[in-house]
Amino acid sequence: MRSPARRTTWAVALSAILTLAACGGGGDSSSSADDPIVVGISLPLTGDFSEPGKGVQEGYEAWAKITNDKGGLLGGRKIELKILDDQSNADRVVADYEQLIGSDQVDLVVGPFSTRLVVPSARVAQEYGMLFVEPAGAAAEVFNQGFKNLFYAAPAVADDHYNHLAEYLLALPAGQKPATVAYAAMDDPFAQGTAYGLKKKLEAGGVKTVVDEVYPPNTTDFGSIAAKIAAAKPDMVVGGSQYQDGVNLIVALQQLNYQPKLAAFSTAPTNPEFAKAIGNKTEGILSPTGYSQDAPYESNKEFVEKFTAQFGKAPEEDQANGYTTGQVVAAAVEAAGCAEQGDCQQKLIDWLHGNTVDTVVGPLKWDATGKPQGAHMIQQWVGNDIKIVLPADAKEADLVYPKPAW
Amino acid sequence: MLLLQSVILGLLLGGLYALLAAGLTLYFGIMRVVMIAHSAFLILAAYLAWWTNDRLGIDPLLSLVVTVPLFFGAGVLLQRGLLSRLRPATLTMMSVLITFAIALMIEGLLGYAFSGTQRRIQLGYGTASFDLFGARVAVVKLIAFGLAAVSLAALYLLMKRTQFGWALRATIQHRDAARLVGIDTERTAGYGFGLGLATAAIGGTALSLDTTIYPSLHWHWIGPLMAIIVVGGLGSVAGAAAAALVLGLAQSLLQIPMGATWAQTVFYVALFATLAVRPQGFFGGRLAQRF
Repeated sequence: MRSPARRTTWAVALSAILTLAACGGGGDSSSSADDPIVVGISLPLTGDFSEPGKGVQEGYEAWAKITNDKGGLLGGRKIELKILDDQSNADRVVADYEQLIGSDQVDLVVGPFSTRLVVPSARVAQEYGMLFVEPAGAAAEVFNQGFKNLFYAAPAVADDHYNHLAEYLLALPAGQKPATVAYAAMDDPFAQGTAYGLKKKLEAGGVKTVVDEVYPPNTTDFGSIAAKIAAAKPDMVVGGSQYQDGVNLIVALQQLNYQPKLAAFSTAPTNPEFAKAIGNKTEGILSPTGYSQDAPYESNKEFVEKFTAQFGKAPEEDQANGYTTGQVVAAAVEAAGCAEQGDCQQKLIDWLHGNTVDTVVGPLKWDATGKPQGAHMIQQWVGNDIKIVLPADAKEADLVYPKPAW
Repeated sequence: MLLLQSVILGLLLGGLYALLAAGLTLYFGIMRVVMIAHSAFLILAAYLAWWTNDRLGIDPLLSLVVTVPLFFGAGVLLQRGLLSRLRPATLTMMSVLITFAIALMIEGLLGYAFSGTQRRIQLGYGTASFDLFGARVAVVKLIAFGLAAVSLAALYLLMKRTQFGWALRATIQHRDAARLVGIDTERTAGYGFGLGLATAAIGGTALSLDTTIYPSLHWHWIGPLMAIIVVGGLGSVAGAAAAALVLGLAQSLLQIPMGATWAQTVFYVALFATLAVRPQGFFGGRLAQRF
């Protein structure tokens, strides 16, 4: 409930920003060699997305610190972050980027968190001709808006998370290939996207779907869904899950004594609480992951080490996404040799469209809509540890198939 | 085989629903209060059970020794301190608002104390199950069902066989008449409310055995539970239990042909049907004339 008084304040503030923008527009800030490069960011530090928002903020802060400790960019220019709180509000995020670009005259902008906030802010950046690399916003709608300045700094969108697994399974000899699969997915674009991305590929490869269940996010009882899956006795079970639903479903399946040859669940198995939650009966469970502290990419070791020193804890996926965004922007800046508003932005955009960037989540490249052209790594619980098993060039252990009993 | 499995799962689920809904129908019977915070107290009890197990390493069921008296006391205080002070004319309406506020407070405090991280009790027998005519029965679900059966039976005996139970039923049936025969209806209502909240302590603990919990989980429970007590007949514990079993079974069986999304609507379809055809509920009498 926003009060009229507050609305007025907003209107005044907004017009002030617009006026400032009009006055300040066009003035090319003469950048000397030791001016800091100011990076403008709006993040949901309060409200619905405050948890991941703060995670991404830590990623950005780690990126600025690590880069500055090594002497900054463009031969000595330090990075300075200017972070505003958008309260997880889509109106607010637009005002924030208007202010950052128009009145604060930041040199670069990078994205906020969540699809809902990425789309409106990318539009603002597009109007000002600014490069817009973003750490979150993997849903299809981000990439069908016709943005030419947007890049998603992660390995893959939801539909492509399981690509490595699909490739692996379809390449198995006929006798070993799983013949039947059960899918259970939460009615959520991201969670369902992961399971259905795999479903589409396996079905095209001739693997039969025997159960296809979609459950609403407020489902509290997973016994019946599990009963349906267990009764169909599929070789493989795939869960398009967030967290609690994945845990509840796995436990319900175990209670029914169902032993699949392969079990893959999104998100839940990579959560630090997961093993404890299901009583360590994790044997052989697969999960796609966008980030792993153990991934062998060159910059990742440095990131984990220095992040841990800076924050006293190891980075998770949100932090890695923020950091990756910074790496992508930095690579473009170094290659184009500039970091300011104006013509420089188009140079940065053009460079990213034509090149691959090495990051903590692996090498990234994008199509014309800014959709990353990779797939997630696949991890598997082996013993009491989750290890990368696919793709082959990043693996820490071999994929165990058929999986041991859980 | 799937049918038998679903019937078993449905009955176990229905038993749990019966326990979770018992307190809710009791509050309404006693003082026409719609207690939105009931499911928040369930989650609170579930958190306390989890915490007991996580920190002290003892069986979560042992937390009942503390939580049942604690919740009983909290219920008495809540009724005496807040709800009995509302004006009778707007009691039902205002009770929705005030208990809504309490639910938000509990959710906020849980988030503050235990963070938003989703928790699950780690039990040695968490995934254990045994075979029954070819279907699997999970031990934790059976324990939860057993808790429900024992507490509902105890509640039934308490209402039927003890002087306090008679006083409580008299208060539910006709407050003025109860007062005329010398029942201290105010005090009885307070204890009755405490009793309702004590069932939440047991229900929450039963729930915690086989559920991943998080502070906002209670919003997912309050809707189905409200539907159950309306279908069962507001104020009737036995009616709520019967409705819970029927709806739990229906949900579980409908899941086979219809899938999870539509099976959930069985609660609301039943709710609308009840309000349209038989507003006093299908199982209990009007406002619990019978127990």
